Amino acid sequence: MLQKKICLLGAFGVGKTSLVRRYVDTIFSDTYLTTVGVKIDKKIATVGSEQMALIIWDIAGEDAVAAVRVSYLRGAAGYLLVADGTRPETLETAASIQSRITAEIGATPFIALLNKADLVEDWAIADDRVQQLEGEGWRFCRTSAKTGNGVEESFAELAALLSR
Amino acid sequence: MLDLPARISDSLLLLIEAQRAVAHLVIDDAQNLVQAVGHLAHYGLDGLAFGGPAADQIPLLEGLLPLAETPFLIRSMEMPSGRVADVHFFADERTVWVLLLDVTAEYEEARLVQQKSYDMTLLSQREARLIAQLEAANQELTRAHRELDASQARLRSEMRDAERYVRAVLPAPMSQPFVVDWRFVPSTELGGDSFGYHWVDDEHFAIYLIDVCGHGVGSALLTVAVGNTLRSEALPGADFRHPAQVLAALNEAYPMERHGELFSTVWYGVYQPRSGSLRYATAGHPSPIVVSGPAGSSECEARALDAKGPCIGITPTARYQEAQCELRSPARLFVFSDGTYEIGRSDGSMMQLADLMATLSQPLGPGQSELDRVLDAARTAHGPGALEDDFTIVKIAL
Repeated sequence: MLQKKICLLGAFGVGKTSLVRRYVDTIFSDTYLTTVGVKIDKKIATVGSEQMALIIWDIAGEDAVAAVRVSYLRGAAGYLLVADGTRPETLETAASIQSRITAEIGATPFIALLNKADLVEDWAIADDRVQQLEGEGWRFCRTSAKTGNGVEESFAELAALLSR
Repeated sequence: MLDLPARISDSLLLLIEAQRAVAHLVIDDAQNLVQAVGHLAHYGLDGLAFGGPAADQIPLLEGLLPLAETPFLIRSMEMPSGRVADVHFFADERTVWVLLLDVTAEYEEARLVQQKSYDMTLLSQREARLIAQLEAANQELTRAHRELDASQARLRSEMRDAERYVRAVLPAPMSQPFVVDWRFVPSTELGGDSFGYHWVDDEHFAIYLIDVCGHGVGSALLTVAVGNTLRSEALPGADFRHPAQVLAALNEAYPMERHGELFSTVWYGVYQPRSGSLRYATAGHPSPIVVSGPAGSSECEARALDAKGPCIGITPTARYQEAQCELRSPARLFVFSDGTYEIGRSDGSMMQLADLMATLSQPLGPGQSELDRVLDAARTAHGPGALEDDFTIVKIAL
Protein backbone atom coordinates (compact mmCIF):
# COMPACT_ATOMS: atom_id res chain seq x y z
CA MET A 1 0.00 0.00 0.00
CA LEU A 2 1.16 3.46 -0.83
CA GLN A 3 2.26 5.33 2.30
CA LYS A 4 2.58 9.15 2.46
CA LYS A 5 3.69 11.49 5.17
CA ILE A 6 1.60 14.62 5.54
CA CYS A 7 1.89 17.42 8.11
CA LEU A 8 -0.53 19.79 9.77
CA LEU A 9 0.93 23.22 10.30
CA GLY A 10 -0.27 26.59 11.49
CA ALA A 11 -0.40 29.00 14.38
CA PHE A 12 -1.14 27.70 17.87
CA GLY A 13 -4.77 27.17 18.82
CA VAL A 14 -6.13 26.97 15.27
CA GLY A 15 -7.42 23.42 15.77
CA LYS A 16 -4.81 21.19 14.10
CA THR A 17 -5.03 18.47 16.75
CA SER A 18 -8.84 18.70 16.76
CA LEU A 19 -8.87 18.20 12.99
CA VAL A 20 -6.70 15.09 13.30
CA ARG A 21 -8.86 13.74 16.14
CA ARG A 22 -11.98 14.37 14.07
CA TYR A 23 -10.43 12.72 10.99
CA VAL A 24 -8.77 9.76 12.67
CA ASP A 25 -11.05 9.06 15.65
CA THR A 26 -14.22 11.01 14.59
CA ILE A 27 -14.31 12.73 17.97
CA PHE A 28 -14.15 16.33 19.13
CA SER A 29 -13.55 17.97 22.48
CA ASP A 30 -14.18 21.64 23.28
CA THR A 31 -11.30 21.60 25.74
CA TYR A 32 -8.22 23.20 24.28
CA LEU A 33 -5.09 21.11 24.92
CA THR A 34 -1.93 22.55 23.49
CA THR A 35 0.44 20.38 21.49
CA VAL A 36 4.12 20.21 22.37
CA GLY A 37 6.45 18.60 19.86
CA VAL A 38 4.94 16.14 17.41
CA LYS A 39 2.26 13.50 17.45
CA ILE A 40 1.97 10.98 14.67
CA ASP A 41 -1.21 9.23 13.58
CA LYS A 42 -1.97 6.91 10.75
CA LYS A 43 -5.12 6.55 8.72
CA ILE A 44 -5.96 4.68 5.56
CA ALA A 45 -7.52 6.93 2.94
CA THR A 46 -9.22 5.77 -0.19
CA VAL A 47 -8.26 7.53 -3.37
CA GLY A 48 -10.31 6.32 -6.28
CA SER A 49 -9.95 2.56 -6.20
CA GLU A 50 -6.65 2.71 -4.36
CA GLN A 51 -5.88 2.89 -0.69
CA MET A 52 -3.24 5.16 0.75
CA ALA A 53 -1.78 5.11 4.26
CA LEU A 54 -1.51 8.67 5.50
CA ILE A 55 1.14 9.19 8.16
CA ILE A 56 -0.14 12.38 9.76
CA TRP A 57 2.30 14.59 11.62
CA ASP A 58 0.49 16.93 13.99
CA ILE A 59 3.18 19.53 14.67
CA ALA A 60 3.09 22.03 17.55
CA GLY A 61 1.73 25.40 16.45
CA GLU A 62 3.79 28.43 15.79
CA ASP A 63 3.75 31.22 18.34
CA ALA A 64 5.55 34.50 18.91
CA VAL A 65 8.54 32.68 20.45
CA ALA A 66 8.82 29.39 18.58
CA ALA A 67 8.64 29.04 14.82
CA VAL A 68 7.51 25.82 13.20
CA ARG A 69 10.48 23.51 12.53
CA VAL A 70 10.36 23.31 8.78
CA SER A 71 12.91 20.45 8.91
CA TYR A 72 10.11 18.24 10.31
CA LEU A 73 8.52 18.45 6.89
CA ARG A 74 11.39 16.53 5.31
CA GLY A 75 9.96 13.63 3.41
CA ALA A 76 6.39 14.99 3.61
CA ALA A 77 4.42 14.53 0.40
CA GLY A 78 2.12 17.40 1.29
CA TYR A 79 0.65 19.38 4.13
CA LEU A 80 -2.47 21.01 5.48
CA LEU A 81 -1.98 24.64 6.42
CA VAL A 82 -4.51 25.51 9.11
CA ALA A 83 -5.84 28.95 10.08
CA ASP A 84 -8.55 29.92 12.56
CA GLY A 85 -11.35 31.75 10.77
CA THR A 86 -12.05 33.82 13.87
CA ARG A 87 -8.42 35.02 14.16
CA PRO A 88 -7.25 36.77 10.97
CA GLU A 89 -3.67 36.91 12.22
CA THR A 90 -3.47 33.11 12.00
CA LEU A 91 -3.90 33.32 8.23
CA GLU A 92 -0.86 35.58 8.10
CA THR A 93 1.07 33.07 10.24
CA ALA A 94 0.03 30.38 7.74
CA ALA A 95 1.25 32.54 4.87
CA SER A 96 4.56 33.04 6.62
CA ILE A 97 4.99 29.29 7.26
CA GLN A 98 4.12 28.50 3.66
CA SER A 99 6.73 30.89 2.29
CA ARG A 100 9.41 29.42 4.60
CA ILE A 101 8.56 25.89 3.50
CA THR A 102 8.80 26.90 -0.14
CA ALA A 103 12.13 28.60 0.51
CA GLU A 104 13.70 25.76 2.52
CA ILE A 105 12.15 22.61 1.07
CA GLY A 106 10.71 23.73 -2.23
CA ALA A 107 7.18 23.71 -3.63
CA THR A 108 5.15 21.09 -1.78
CA PRO A 109 1.46 20.33 -2.34
CA PHE A 110 -0.79 21.83 0.35
CA ILE A 111 -4.33 22.81 1.11
CA ALA A 112 -5.21 25.74 3.37
CA LEU A 113 -7.96 25.05 5.90
CA LEU A 114 -10.03 27.86 7.38
CA ASN A 115 -11.08 26.07 10.53
CA LYS A 116 -13.80 26.80 13.12
CA ALA A 117 -16.31 27.44 10.35
CA ASP A 118 -19.09 26.73 12.85
CA LEU A 119 -18.32 30.04 14.59
CA VAL A 120 -20.16 32.03 11.95
CA GLU A 121 -20.80 35.10 14.11
CA ASP A 122 -17.14 35.39 15.10
CA TRP A 123 -15.81 34.84 11.57
CA ALA A 124 -13.20 37.52 10.93
CA ILE A 125 -11.13 36.50 7.92
CA ALA A 126 -11.59 38.94 5.08
CA ASP A 127 -12.78 37.48 1.80
CA ASP A 128 -10.47 39.73 -0.20
CA ARG A 129 -7.42 38.34 1.63
CA VAL A 130 -8.56 34.80 0.85
CA GLN A 131 -9.11 35.78 -2.79
CA GLN A 132 -5.66 37.33 -2.91
CA LEU A 133 -4.06 34.09 -1.68
CA GLU A 134 -6.20 32.07 -4.08
CA GLY A 135 -4.72 34.30 -6.78
CA GLU A 136 -1.31 33.07 -5.61
CA GLY A 137 -2.41 29.46 -6.15
CA TRP A 138 -3.71 28.60 -2.70
CA ARG A 139 -6.56 26.14 -2.46
CA PHE A 140 -8.90 26.83 0.52
CA CYS A 141 -11.35 24.59 2.37
CA ARG A 142 -13.62 25.66 5.20
CA THR A 143 -13.62 23.15 8.02
CA SER A 144 -15.12 22.65 11.42
CA ALA A 145 -13.48 20.07 13.64
CA LYS A 146 -16.47 20.58 15.93
CA THR A 147 -19.17 19.63 13.44
CA GLY A 148 -16.92 17.63 11.13
CA ASN A 149 -17.87 19.77 8.16
CA GLY A 150 -15.19 19.73 5.47
CA VAL A 151 -12.71 17.64 7.49
CA GLU A 152 -12.90 14.27 5.73
CA GLU A 153 -13.17 16.08 2.40
CA SER A 154 -10.02 18.13 3.05
CA PHE A 155 -7.86 15.11 3.92
CA ALA A 156 -9.34 13.22 0.96
CA GLU A 157 -8.57 16.12 -1.36
CA LEU A 158 -4.97 16.27 -0.19
CA ALA A 159 -4.65 12.49 -0.59
CA ALA A 160 -6.00 12.79 -4.12
CA LEU A 161 -3.52 15.56 -4.81
CA LEU A 162 -0.66 13.33 -3.63
CA SER A 163 -1.71 10.37 -5.73
CA ARG A 164 -1.35 12.26 -9.00
CA MET B 1 33.60 17.20 23.91
CA LEU B 2 34.20 16.33 27.50
CA ASP B 3 37.61 14.78 27.94
CA LEU B 4 36.62 12.31 30.61
CA PRO B 5 38.15 9.01 31.66
CA ALA B 6 36.34 6.04 30.14
CA ARG B 7 34.97 4.88 33.53
CA ILE B 8 33.29 8.26 34.06
CA SER B 9 31.89 8.56 30.58
CA ASP B 10 30.65 4.97 30.85
CA SER B 11 29.03 5.85 34.12
CA LEU B 12 27.37 8.88 32.56
CA LEU B 13 26.09 6.73 29.75
CA LEU B 14 24.63 4.25 32.22
CA LEU B 15 22.97 7.13 34.07
CA ILE B 16 21.40 8.47 30.90
CA GLU B 17 20.41 5.00 29.82
CA ALA B 18 18.66 4.42 33.16
CA GLN B 19 16.98 7.83 33.40
CA ARG B 20 15.99 8.27 29.77
CA ALA B 21 14.91 4.73 28.96
CA VAL B 22 17.19 4.72 25.98
CA ALA B 23 16.32 2.55 23.01
CA HIS B 24 17.86 2.51 19.57
CA LEU B 25 17.13 1.23 16.13
CA VAL B 26 19.60 0.50 13.40
CA ILE B 27 18.64 0.80 9.74
CA ASP B 28 20.77 -0.24 6.84
CA ASP B 29 21.33 1.52 3.52
CA ALA B 30 18.38 -0.39 2.03
CA GLN B 31 16.21 1.28 4.70
CA ASN B 32 15.55 -2.07 6.34
CA LEU B 33 15.43 -2.44 10.10
CA VAL B 34 18.37 -4.55 11.14
CA GLN B 35 18.59 -4.05 14.86
CA ALA B 36 16.43 -2.76 17.76
CA VAL B 37 17.90 -2.54 21.25
CA GLY B 38 16.99 -1.10 24.64
CA HIS B 39 13.68 -0.11 26.22
CA LEU B 40 11.59 -0.70 23.10
CA ALA B 41 8.44 -1.71 24.98
CA HIS B 42 8.66 1.55 26.91
CA TYR B 43 7.85 3.31 23.64
CA GLY B 44 5.46 0.70 22.28
CA LEU B 45 8.01 -0.51 19.77
CA ASP B 46 8.43 -4.07 20.97
CA GLY B 47 7.89 -6.97 18.62
CA LEU B 48 9.59 -5.34 15.65
CA ALA B 49 10.62 -7.63 12.82
CA PHE B 50 14.02 -7.30 11.21
CA GLY B 51 14.84 -7.33 7.55
CA GLY B 52 11.85 -5.43 6.21
CA PRO B 53 11.41 -1.72 5.38
CA ALA B 54 11.77 0.19 8.64
CA ALA B 55 9.10 2.78 7.75
CA ASP B 56 6.46 0.05 7.35
CA GLN B 57 6.72 -0.76 11.05
CA ILE B 58 7.76 2.60 12.42
CA PRO B 59 5.56 5.33 10.83
CA LEU B 60 7.70 8.20 12.12
CA LEU B 61 10.42 7.12 9.71
CA GLU B 62 8.20 7.57 6.67
CA GLY B 63 9.83 10.01 4.26
CA LEU B 64 12.84 10.66 6.52
CA LEU B 65 15.10 8.06 4.98
CA PRO B 66 17.67 8.43 3.60
CA LEU B 67 18.57 11.04 6.15
CA ALA B 68 19.02 14.53 4.65
CA GLU B 69 21.02 15.83 7.58
CA THR B 70 22.91 14.23 10.47
CA PRO B 71 22.66 14.49 13.33
CA PHE B 72 18.94 15.25 13.24
CA LEU B 73 16.64 15.68 16.22
CA ILE B 74 12.89 15.55 16.57
CA ARG B 75 11.92 16.91 19.95
CA SER B 76 9.08 15.64 22.09
CA MET B 77 7.52 13.09 19.80
CA GLU B 78 4.59 11.23 21.28
CA MET B 79 5.24 7.52 20.85
CA PRO B 80 2.70 4.70 20.40
CA SER B 81 2.92 3.85 24.14
CA GLY B 82 2.01 7.42 25.07
CA ARG B 83 5.52 8.15 26.34
CA VAL B 84 7.25 11.13 24.81
CA ALA B 85 10.71 10.87 23.36
CA ASP B 86 13.36 13.04 21.82
CA VAL B 87 14.27 11.15 18.67
CA HIS B 88 17.92 11.49 17.64
CA PHE B 89 19.07 10.43 14.21
CA PHE B 90 22.71 9.70 13.35
CA ALA B 91 23.96 8.36 10.06
CA ASP B 92 27.05 7.34 8.25
CA GLU B 93 27.30 6.18 4.68
CA ARG B 94 25.65 2.83 5.26
CA THR B 95 23.73 2.97 8.52
CA VAL B 96 21.19 5.11 10.32
CA TRP B 97 20.90 4.98 14.07
CA VAL B 98 17.70 6.18 15.70
CA LEU B 99 17.99 6.86 19.42
CA LEU B 100 14.96 7.36 21.63
CA LEU B 101 15.35 9.25 24.92
CA ASP B 102 12.37 9.59 27.22
CA VAL B 103 11.46 13.23 27.92
CA THR B 104 7.91 12.66 29.17
CA ALA B 105 8.45 14.57 32.42
CA GLU B 106 9.93 17.61 30.66
CA TYR B 107 7.18 17.36 28.06
CA GLU B 108 4.45 17.49 30.72
CA GLU B 109 6.11 20.44 32.40
CA ALA B 110 6.52 22.30 29.09
CA ARG B 111 2.95 21.50 28.12
CA LEU B 112 1.57 22.99 31.34
CA VAL B 113 3.56 26.21 30.89
CA GLN B 114 2.66 26.43 27.21
CA GLN B 115 -1.00 25.70 27.94
CA LYS B 116 -1.17 28.55 30.43
CA SER B 117 0.66 30.88 28.09
CA TYR B 118 -1.56 30.06 25.09
CA ASP B 119 -4.73 30.29 27.17
CA MET B 120 -3.67 33.76 28.29
CA THR B 121 -2.70 34.79 24.77
CA LEU B 122 -5.96 33.52 23.30
CA LEU B 123 -7.89 35.34 26.00
CA SER B 124 -6.05 38.59 25.44
CA GLN B 125 -6.48 38.24 21.65
CA ARG B 126 -10.19 37.67 22.17
CA GLU B 127 -10.36 40.64 24.50
CA ALA B 128 -8.59 42.80 21.91
CA ARG B 129 -11.04 41.65 19.22
CA LEU B 130 -14.02 42.38 21.48
CA ILE B 131 -12.64 45.81 22.31
CA ALA B 132 -12.15 46.49 18.59
CA GLN B 133 -15.72 45.32 17.91
CA LEU B 134 -17.00 47.53 20.73
CA GLU B 135 -15.07 50.50 19.39
CA ALA B 136 -16.43 49.87 15.89
CA ALA B 137 -19.96 49.56 17.28
CA ASN B 138 -19.43 52.71 19.28
CA GLN B 139 -18.26 54.59 16.20
CA GLU B 140 -21.27 53.32 14.29
CA LEU B 141 -23.55 54.40 17.13
CA THR B 142 -21.93 57.83 17.24
CA ARG B 143 -22.41 58.19 13.49
CA ALA B 144 -26.03 57.04 13.73
CA HIS B 145 -26.57 59.42 16.63
CA ARG B 146 -25.14 62.29 14.61
CA GLU B 147 -27.43 61.41 11.70
CA LEU B 148 -30.37 61.18 14.09
CA ASP B 149 -29.53 64.59 15.55
CA ALA B 150 -29.39 66.08 12.06
CA SER B 151 -32.64 64.38 11.13
CA GLN B 152 -34.30 65.59 14.32
CA ALA B 153 -33.04 69.11 13.68
CA ARG B 154 -34.56 68.97 10.19
CA LEU B 155 -37.78 67.61 11.66
CA ARG B 156 -37.86 70.32 14.33
CA SER B 157 -37.32 72.94 11.66
CA GLU B 158 -40.13 71.49 9.59
CA MET B 159 -42.36 71.33 12.68
CA ARG B 160 -41.61 74.99 13.38
CA ASP B 161 -42.57 75.83 9.80
CA ALA B 162 -45.80 73.87 10.23
CA GLU B 163 -46.52 75.60 13.54
CA ARG B 164 -45.93 78.97 11.87
CA TYR B 165 -48.44 77.96 9.22
CA VAL B 166 -51.01 76.85 11.83
CA ARG B 167 -50.62 80.23 13.56
CA ALA B 168 -50.66 82.10 10.26
CA VAL B 169 -54.15 80.85 9.39
CA LEU B 170 -55.54 82.03 12.75
CA PRO B 171 -57.48 85.29 12.44
CA ALA B 172 -56.04 88.46 13.95
CA PRO B 173 -57.78 89.92 17.01
CA MET B 174 -60.32 92.58 16.06
CA SER B 175 -61.73 95.62 17.83
CA GLN B 176 -64.63 96.79 15.63
CA PRO B 177 -67.57 96.63 15.74
CA PHE B 178 -66.85 94.55 18.84
CA VAL B 179 -63.73 93.16 20.39
CA VAL B 180 -62.53 89.67 19.56
CA ASP B 181 -59.33 88.42 21.21
CA TRP B 182 -57.77 85.03 21.90
CA ARG B 183 -54.96 83.06 23.50
CA PHE B 184 -53.54 79.98 21.79
CA VAL B 185 -50.88 77.81 23.50
CA PRO B 186 -50.37 74.39 21.90
CA SER B 187 -49.06 71.76 24.34
CA THR B 188 -46.58 70.52 21.74
CA GLU B 189 -45.21 72.43 18.80
CA LEU B 190 -48.18 71.19 16.81
CA GLY B 191 -51.55 70.85 18.51
CA GLY B 192 -55.04 69.72 17.61
CA ASP B 193 -56.75 73.02 18.42
CA SER B 194 -57.76 75.64 15.89
CA PHE B 195 -60.35 78.37 15.69
CA GLY B 196 -61.67 81.13 13.48
CA TYR B 197 -64.30 83.80 13.04
CA HIS B 198 -65.53 85.70 10.04
CA TRP B 199 -68.51 87.59 8.67
CA VAL B 200 -70.83 85.26 6.77
CA ASP B 201 -72.65 88.36 5.52
CA ASP B 202 -73.23 91.90 6.84
CA GLU B 203 -75.40 90.67 9.68
CA HIS B 204 -74.05 87.29 10.65
CA PHE B 205 -70.72 86.79 12.40
CA ALA B 206 -69.55 83.18 12.64
CA ILE B 207 -67.23 81.99 15.42
CA TYR B 208 -65.93 78.45 15.78
CA LEU B 209 -63.40 76.39 17.68
CA ILE B 210 -62.10 72.97 16.71
CA ASP B 211 -60.32 70.47 18.97
CA VAL B 212 -59.04 67.37 17.13
CA CYS B 213 -58.22 64.46 19.45
CA GLY B 214 -54.51 64.03 20.14
CA HIS B 215 -51.56 66.24 19.28
CA GLY B 216 -48.84 66.34 16.67
CA VAL B 217 -48.70 66.47 12.91
CA GLY B 218 -51.81 64.37 12.19
CA SER B 219 -54.05 66.32 14.56
CA ALA B 220 -52.64 69.65 13.36
CA LEU B 221 -53.22 68.78 9.69
CA LEU B 222 -56.84 67.84 10.39
CA THR B 223 -57.61 70.86 12.57
CA VAL B 224 -56.16 73.20 9.93
CA ALA B 225 -58.20 71.42 7.24
CA VAL B 226 -61.43 71.70 9.25
CA GLY B 227 -60.65 75.34 10.08
CA ASN B 228 -60.02 76.13 6.42
CA THR B 229 -63.27 74.38 5.44
CA LEU B 230 -65.24 76.57 7.84
CA ARG B 231 -63.30 79.74 6.97
CA SER B 232 -63.84 79.25 3.25
CA GLU B 233 -67.41 77.98 3.79
CA ALA B 234 -66.54 74.96 1.67
CA LEU B 235 -69.43 72.72 2.67
CA PRO B 236 -71.78 72.42 -0.30
CA GLY B 237 -75.44 72.80 0.63
CA ALA B 238 -74.78 74.15 4.12
CA ASP B 239 -76.03 77.58 5.10
CA PHE B 240 -73.28 79.03 7.24
CA ARG B 241 -75.80 81.15 9.10
CA HIS B 242 -77.25 77.93 10.57
CA PRO B 243 -74.90 76.17 12.99
CA ALA B 244 -76.73 72.82 13.00
CA GLN B 245 -76.47 72.56 9.21
CA VAL B 246 -72.79 73.45 9.30
CA LEU B 247 -71.93 70.78 11.88
CA ALA B 248 -73.96 68.12 10.08
CA ALA B 249 -72.20 68.90 6.79
CA LEU B 250 -68.84 69.00 8.55
CA ASN B 251 -69.55 65.59 10.12
CA GLU B 252 -70.32 64.22 6.68
CA ALA B 253 -67.13 65.69 5.18
CA TYR B 254 -64.74 64.45 7.88
CA PRO B 255 -65.56 60.81 8.80
CA MET B 256 -62.79 59.50 11.05
CA GLU B 257 -62.21 56.37 8.95
CA ARG B 258 -61.02 58.60 6.10
CA HIS B 259 -59.03 60.94 8.36
CA GLY B 260 -56.52 58.82 10.20
CA GLU B 261 -59.08 57.62 12.78
CA LEU B 262 -59.14 61.15 14.17
CA PHE B 263 -62.30 62.80 15.38
CA SER B 264 -62.87 66.30 16.71
CA THR B 265 -65.08 68.43 18.88
CA VAL B 266 -66.35 71.64 17.29
CA TRP B 267 -68.37 74.53 18.58
CA TYR B 268 -69.93 76.77 15.93
CA GLY B 269 -71.96 79.91 16.69
CA VAL B 270 -73.45 82.74 14.65
CA TYR B 271 -73.84 86.13 16.30
CA GLN B 272 -76.16 88.83 14.93
CA PRO B 273 -75.04 92.17 16.40
CA ARG B 274 -78.21 93.98 15.41
CA SER B 275 -80.52 91.70 17.39
CA GLY B 276 -77.97 90.42 19.93
CA SER B 277 -78.94 86.86 19.00
CA LEU B 278 -76.41 84.07 19.27
CA ARG B 279 -77.38 80.80 17.56
CA TYR B 280 -75.05 77.91 18.19
CA ALA B 281 -74.58 74.18 18.02
CA THR B 282 -71.95 71.88 19.49
CA ALA B 283 -70.28 68.68 18.36
CA GLY B 284 -69.15 67.28 21.70
CA HIS B 285 -67.41 70.52 22.58
CA PRO B 286 -67.18 72.12 26.05
CA SER B 287 -69.94 74.64 26.67
CA PRO B 288 -68.88 78.26 26.15
CA ILE B 289 -69.31 80.70 29.02
CA VAL B 290 -71.09 84.02 28.88
CA VAL B 291 -70.13 86.57 31.51
CA SER B 292 -72.64 89.39 31.87
CA GLY B 293 -71.81 92.70 33.49
CA PRO B 294 -68.91 95.15 33.20
CA ALA B 295 -65.51 93.46 33.23
CA GLY B 296 -64.30 95.38 36.26
CA SER B 297 -67.48 94.88 38.25
CA SER B 298 -68.06 92.49 41.12
CA GLU B 299 -71.62 92.01 39.86
CA CYS B 300 -70.59 89.83 36.93
CA GLU B 301 -72.53 86.64 36.38
CA ALA B 302 -71.13 83.67 34.48
CA ARG B 303 -73.27 81.01 32.83
CA ALA B 304 -72.51 78.12 30.51
CA LEU B 305 -74.25 77.78 27.15
CA ASP B 306 -75.11 74.12 27.50
CA ALA B 307 -75.85 72.11 24.37
CA LYS B 308 -75.28 68.56 23.19
CA GLY B 309 -74.22 66.89 19.96
CA PRO B 310 -71.92 64.04 18.84
CA CYS B 311 -68.28 64.64 17.93
CA ILE B 312 -67.40 65.26 14.29
CA GLY B 313 -66.36 62.14 12.41
CA ILE B 314 -67.72 59.40 14.63
CA THR B 315 -71.35 58.89 13.52
CA PRO B 316 -72.04 59.29 9.78
CA THR B 317 -75.70 60.21 10.22
CA ALA B 318 -75.32 62.55 13.19
CA ARG B 319 -77.81 65.38 13.57
CA TYR B 320 -77.23 68.54 15.58
CA GLN B 321 -79.56 70.71 17.63
CA GLU B 322 -79.38 74.44 17.38
CA ALA B 323 -79.73 76.63 20.51
CA GLN B 324 -80.15 80.34 20.81
CA CYS B 325 -79.55 83.06 23.41
CA GLU B 326 -79.40 86.85 23.62
CA LEU B 327 -76.10 88.62 24.26
CA ARG B 328 -76.59 92.14 25.67
CA SER B 329 -73.72 94.52 26.31
CA PRO B 330 -71.87 94.58 28.60
CA ALA B 331 -71.11 90.90 28.21
CA ARG B 332 -68.29 88.60 27.10
CA LEU B 333 -68.61 85.29 25.33
CA PHE B 334 -65.74 82.83 25.94
CA VAL B 335 -65.32 79.87 23.61
CA PHE B 336 -62.53 77.50 24.59
CA SER B 337 -61.11 73.99 24.34
CA ASP B 338 -61.07 71.55 27.28
CA GLY B 339 -57.34 72.17 27.67
CA THR B 340 -58.25 75.53 29.13
CA TYR B 341 -59.67 74.07 32.32
CA GLU B 342 -59.06 70.28 32.43
CA ILE B 343 -55.70 70.74 34.07
CA GLY B 344 -54.13 68.42 36.59
CA ARG B 345 -52.89 70.14 39.70
CA SER B 346 -49.72 69.04 41.46
CA ASP B 347 -51.85 67.51 44.27
CA GLY B 348 -53.46 65.16 41.73
CA SER B 349 -56.83 66.95 41.56
CA MET B 350 -58.24 68.38 38.33
CA MET B 351 -59.51 71.85 37.57
CA GLN B 352 -63.18 71.89 36.57
CA LEU B 353 -65.38 74.05 34.35
CA ALA B 354 -66.71 75.64 37.56
CA ASP B 355 -63.20 76.84 38.38
CA LEU B 356 -62.97 78.51 34.98
CA MET B 357 -66.38 80.11 35.50
CA ALA B 358 -65.28 81.36 38.91
CA THR B 359 -62.10 82.84 37.44
CA LEU B 360 -64.05 84.59 34.68
CA SER B 361 -66.68 86.04 37.00
CA GLN B 362 -64.14 87.64 39.33
CA PRO B 363 -63.75 91.41 38.92
CA LEU B 364 -60.72 92.49 36.92
CA GLY B 365 -58.06 94.71 38.37
CA PRO B 366 -56.90 97.79 36.48
CA GLY B 367 -54.94 96.86 33.36
CA GLN B 368 -55.73 93.16 33.80
CA SER B 369 -56.71 90.93 30.88
CA GLU B 370 -59.37 88.29 31.38
CA LEU B 371 -57.63 85.96 28.90
CA ASP B 372 -54.23 86.35 30.56
CA ARG B 373 -55.81 85.71 33.93
CA VAL B 374 -57.31 82.44 32.67
CA LEU B 375 -53.93 81.41 31.17
CA ASP B 376 -52.15 82.32 34.42
CA ALA B 377 -54.66 80.29 36.42
CA ALA B 378 -54.06 77.29 34.17
CA ARG B 379 -50.28 77.60 34.45
CA THR B 380 -50.42 78.09 38.21
CA ALA B 381 -52.59 74.99 38.60
CA HIS B 382 -50.33 72.94 36.32
CA GLY B 383 -47.01 74.01 37.76
CA PRO B 384 -43.73 74.19 35.84
CA GLY B 385 -43.44 72.85 32.29
CA ALA B 386 -45.67 72.87 29.24
CA LEU B 387 -49.39 72.33 29.66
CA GLU B 388 -50.57 68.76 29.01
CA ASP B 389 -53.20 69.81 26.46
CA ASP B 390 -53.67 72.64 23.97
CA PHE B 391 -54.90 75.82 25.60
CA THR B 392 -57.22 77.83 23.36
CA ILE B 393 -59.71 80.48 24.37
CA VAL B 394 -61.50 83.07 22.23
CA LYS B 395 -63.36 86.05 23.66
CA ILE B 396 -66.03 88.25 22.09
CA ALA B 397 -66.60 91.35 24.19
CA LEU B 398 -69.79 93.32 23.66
